[in-house]
Amino acid sequence: MSTGLERDPAIEVSEDDLEALIGDRALARDDHLNAPGFVVRPDDVQSVLSDLRDEAGFDHLANLTAQQYADRYESIYHLRKYADPTQEVSVVVPTTTDDPVSQTAEPVFRTADWHEREAFDLVGIDYEGHPDPRRILLPETWQGHPLSEDYNQEKPQLVTLSEHANPVQPDHHDDESDTMFLNIGPHHPATHGVLHIETVLDGETVVDVDPDIGYLHRCEEQMCQQGTYRHQIMPYPDRWDYVSAGLLNEWAYARTAEDLADIDVPEYAQVIRTMGAELCRIASHMLALATFALDVYGDFTAIFQYGMRDREVVQDILEDLTGQRLMFNYFRLGGVAWDLPEPREEFIEKTRDFLDGLPAKVDEYHDLLTGNEIFQVRTHDTGILEPEVAKQYGCTGPVARGSGIDYDLRRDDPYGYYDNLEWDVVTEDGCDNYSRVLVRMQEVEESAKIIEQCLDLLEDWPEDERTVQSNVPRTLKPDADTEIYRSVEGAKGELGIYIRSDGTDKPGRFKIRSPCFHNLSALPEMSEGEYIPDLIASLGSLDIVLGEVDR
Amino acid sequence: MPGTQTATATPALPLQDTVLLPERIGELTGLDGFGLGGELLAAFLAAFLIGNLMLAMTGVAGPWAKRKITAAFTDRIAVNRLGPAGLFIIVADAVRLLSKELVIPENADRPAYDLAPIVVASSALLGFAVIPMGNGIHLADPEVGLAYVFAVSGIASLGLVMAGYASANKYSMLGGLRAVAQNVAYEIPLVITGMSVVIFSGSLQMGTIVAEQHETLVTIAGIDIPTWYALINPFAFVLFLVANFAEVGRNPFDTPEAPTEIVAGYQTEYSSVYFVLIYLGEFLHIFLGGAIIATIFLGGPAGPVLPGIVWFIIKIWAVFFATQWLRSAVPRVRIDQLIEIGWKGLLVLAFANLVLTAVIVGLIA
Repeated sequence: MSTGLERDPAIEVSEDDLEALIGDRALARDDHLNAPGFVVRPDDVQSVLSDLRDEAGFDHLANLTAQQYADRYESIYHLRKYADPTQEVSVVVPTTTDDPVSQTAEPVFRTADWHEREAFDLVGIDYEGHPDPRRILLPETWQGHPLSEDYNQEKPQLVTLSEHANPVQPDHHDDESDTMFLNIGPHHPATHGVLHIETVLDGETVVDVDPDIGYLHRCEEQMCQQGTYRHQIMPYPDRWDYVSAGLLNEWAYARTAEDLADIDVPEYAQVIRTMGAELCRIASHMLALATFALDVYGDFTAIFQYGMRDREVVQDILEDLTGQRLMFNYFRLGGVAWDLPEPREEFIEKTRDFLDGLPAKVDEYHDLLTGNEIFQVRTHDTGILEPEVAKQYGCTGPVARGSGIDYDLRRDDPYGYYDNLEWDVVTEDGCDNYSRVLVRMQEVEESAKIIEQCLDLLEDWPEDERTVQSNVPRTLKPDADTEIYRSVEGAKGELGIYIRSDGTDKPGRFKIRSPCFHNLSALPEMSEGEYIPDLIASLGSLDIVLGEVDR
Repeated sequence: MPGTQTATATPALPLQDTVLLPERIGELTGLDGFGLGGELLAAFLAAFLIGNLMLAMTGVAGPWAKRKITAAFTDRIAVNRLGPAGLFIIVADAVRLLSKELVIPENADRPAYDLAPIVVASSALLGFAVIPMGNGIHLADPEVGLAYVFAVSGIASLGLVMAGYASANKYSMLGGLRAVAQNVAYEIPLVITGMSVVIFSGSLQMGTIVAEQHETLVTIAGIDIPTWYALINPFAFVLFLVANFAEVGRNPFDTPEAPTEIVAGYQTEYSSVYFVLIYLGEFLHIFLGGAIIATIFLGGPAGPVLPGIVWFIIKIWAVFFATQWLRSAVPRVRIDQLIEIGWKGLLVLAFANLVLTAVIVGLIA
C-alpha cells in the first residue's frame, strides 16, 4: 500500500484503509470504544503489527492486555501513533484454552518483551519465539497464573530463598572471562525503591543490565477488578505512583471510567482537576529533580533539601485542597469530591504566593544544578536514549520528550481543561540525562503557567455555577463486553487504563499501562557500555516509582 | 639557611618550639630524672595528650559539627534535643555506636579485616606527631618532618585496600580499588606541591617551615601580612587543597565511598566498633590534612591575640568546614573523570608549579 503514510505518520488512516491493509488476515472486527479492533490469527501477529507500524504509521505499542474468557485467551495489542495519539487501533489475538500459544511481537516492538512476560506471568499465555520467556512480576518458583480462570487462590505458594534463584550464588561467569556479576538492589541506596538490577561489570564498565522487578507487586489490577466502578476503585490509583502524583493517577481512572459509562464532567470540576493535576506534576518533578541530584551528587546535598523544601509547599496546598498529603482520593466519577477549601481567597492567595516564588527557585536550581560544570560533565552524553529506541520501548513523558519526541497527551489527546489554556510542550534534543533534567525543570514552569490560568478562572467563576460533580447513578453497570483503553499524561508519562466491562458493577478486566514500566525497560539500552555511576544517573533520570512499575 | 638549626640555636625564629612537649612534661613531672624509662613515659604521656585532643575533636566533628554544618547549608535544623544545641548527641551517639552488634561477614579474611580499621585510624594519628600546634604543643621535630607526614598518611591507603579486599563483598572490593587508584593518582601531585614549599623554606622540618612563614610580607594600613606560603604562592595552595580533598576522599572526590553507587565502598561490611574506627580514621585524616595545610601554607599556629593552639585549631576546622561545604554543594565526579583530573591535570600543574617555584626562588636567592 503506497499511501505515503510512511513519510507522514500523522495522516489520518481511515478504517477502510486499515481493513485493506490487514486484508484477509483479519478474521473479524472487535471494536473498542475509541479504537477499531481487528481479530487476527496467533501466527499473524508479527506481520500485522509490522504492516501497521510501517505502512500505517502506528509506531507506538501503548499497551498489551492479556485476559482469559471462558472459551479462549486473548492478547490485545493497543497501538497508537506518537505523531497523533488519537489514532488508535487494537489488534486482538485469541488463542485456545487448551494451547494458549501466540506469536511474539517482540521483533516488531521491543516493549512487547516485558509486556508478554507479564501476560505469561499473570494470565498464562505462551508467546512463541519470545527471546526471554521468564516470569517478570512474580517469583520464578510461583505455581500457576493468578489472573487465569482456573487459578486456585487457596493454594499456598512457597517461595523460600532456597527455591528462589539464590542471589548470593557464585559469580555468573565462566573461568575464562574477567567480568563480575553484581546485584544492585533490591536494597541499595540508589534504586528508588525495591528494584533489583542484575549487572555484569567489566572493571567499572557496565556490560550487561537486567532489571528484575516485581518486589512491590500488590495485585493492583486484580484489586481494581474486585471494586465497584462508582466508589471502590478510585482510592487505588493513588497507590500506583505514590510520590505526589496521586491526582494524575486518579485522572487516568476517572477519564477511562467516565468515557466507558458516558459520564459528563462539569467544566468547573475540570478546571479544579487541571489545577490539582498540575500541582501534583510540580511536586512529582521536584522530587524527581531532588533525587536525581542525590544520585549524581552522592549525598543529601543542598539541592535535595531545597527540592524537598519547595515540594513541601505544594504538598501543603494539595493538603488544603484534598484533605490528604499522600493518598488524595479527591476525584470522583463525574467531578471532584468537593470545592476549593473555604476561605477560597486564602487558598487562591496561598497558591499564587507559591507560583510567584517559583521563578526565583527555578533560577536557584539552575545555578546549583544545571549551571554546575561538574554536573554538566557528569550528565552530558550519558544515558543516551535515541528517539527511535525510545519509541521501540514505548517511552513517554519527560523521558521521551528529553529524546526530542514531541508527545504529550495533554495536548495531543486533549482532556480536562488543557485545550483552553496557554502552555507549551517542552522537548529537548540531547537524548541524555542532562536533557531529561532540563525537560522536567521547564515542565515545572509550564505547569505553573497552567495553574495560574486555572486560578484566574476559579476566582472569577460565578458562584451559582460552581458544580463540582455531575449526577452519576449510584451503581454503574456499563454494557457487557464494552472495551476501552484511555490514558492521561501522568507525571512519568502515558498512564493508561484498559477496562472491559462484563455487565456487572465491577470491571471484567482492569489493566494498567504504567509509564515507568516502559521507561525502565529501556534502561539497558541507556547504560550498557557506560560506567556504574552513569547507570545510577540514568536510572535516576528515568524517575521511576516502583509502585507504578510493579503495580 | 635555617635548615641546619638545632633545637637550641634559633633565636631568629621565634615561633619555633625550642622545647618539645615530651621534654616539658618530663621537666614538669620530674620524669626526666628517671633516665630512658622516664623519657619514654613522658613521651607517651605527651602523645596520649595530643592523641586525645585529636580524638576529642573528631568526636565533636562526627556526630555533632558535621550535622550542624550540613544542616545549615541545606536548610535544616539537625540535632537539637539533647543538651545545649544538641551537643549531648555526642554521648548518645557514642553509646549507640559502641553498643551495636558487630557483624562480621562469613567469608571475611580475618586478620586483615580486623586490622584494616586500626590501620586507617592509627595512620592519621601518627601524622600529628610532627605537627607544631603552638604553645609548645609539638611532639617531635625531625628533620624529615614533612616527608614523614606524607609517608604515614599514605599508610591509610593500605588500610582501605585491606578493608575493601578482606570484606569479601563486591561493593567493598570496588571501593577499595577506587581508593587505591585515587590515592596513587593524587598522592603524587600532593607531595610535589608540598615540595614547592620546601623550596621556599629550605627544610623538611615542620618547625622550620612554620618559623619561615613568620616574616612580614607587606604592611597594609598598619596590619602586617605575614609570609604565609598560601599568600606567597596561592597557586600551590589551591593545588594542594584540591589534591588534599582527593587524598582524604571528600567531595567532589568521594568516589571510594560513593553511597549512591557502591553503597559505602570499602566500609560497607563494617559495623559497630569497626565502623567507628573507620569513621574516626576518616575524620582524623581530614584533620591531618587540615593540619598539614595549616602548617605548610597558613603559618601553623601563627595569629594575633589568641594563643597559638587556638589559631591552629581554628585553621584545621576551617579546612574541615570547607569539606562540609563542598559536600553540600558540589557533585561527585565519575571515577574515570577523577583519575583523568589527577593524572592529566593536577600532576602536570603540580610539576609546573614546582619548576616555576624553583626558578623564581633560584633567581631571587
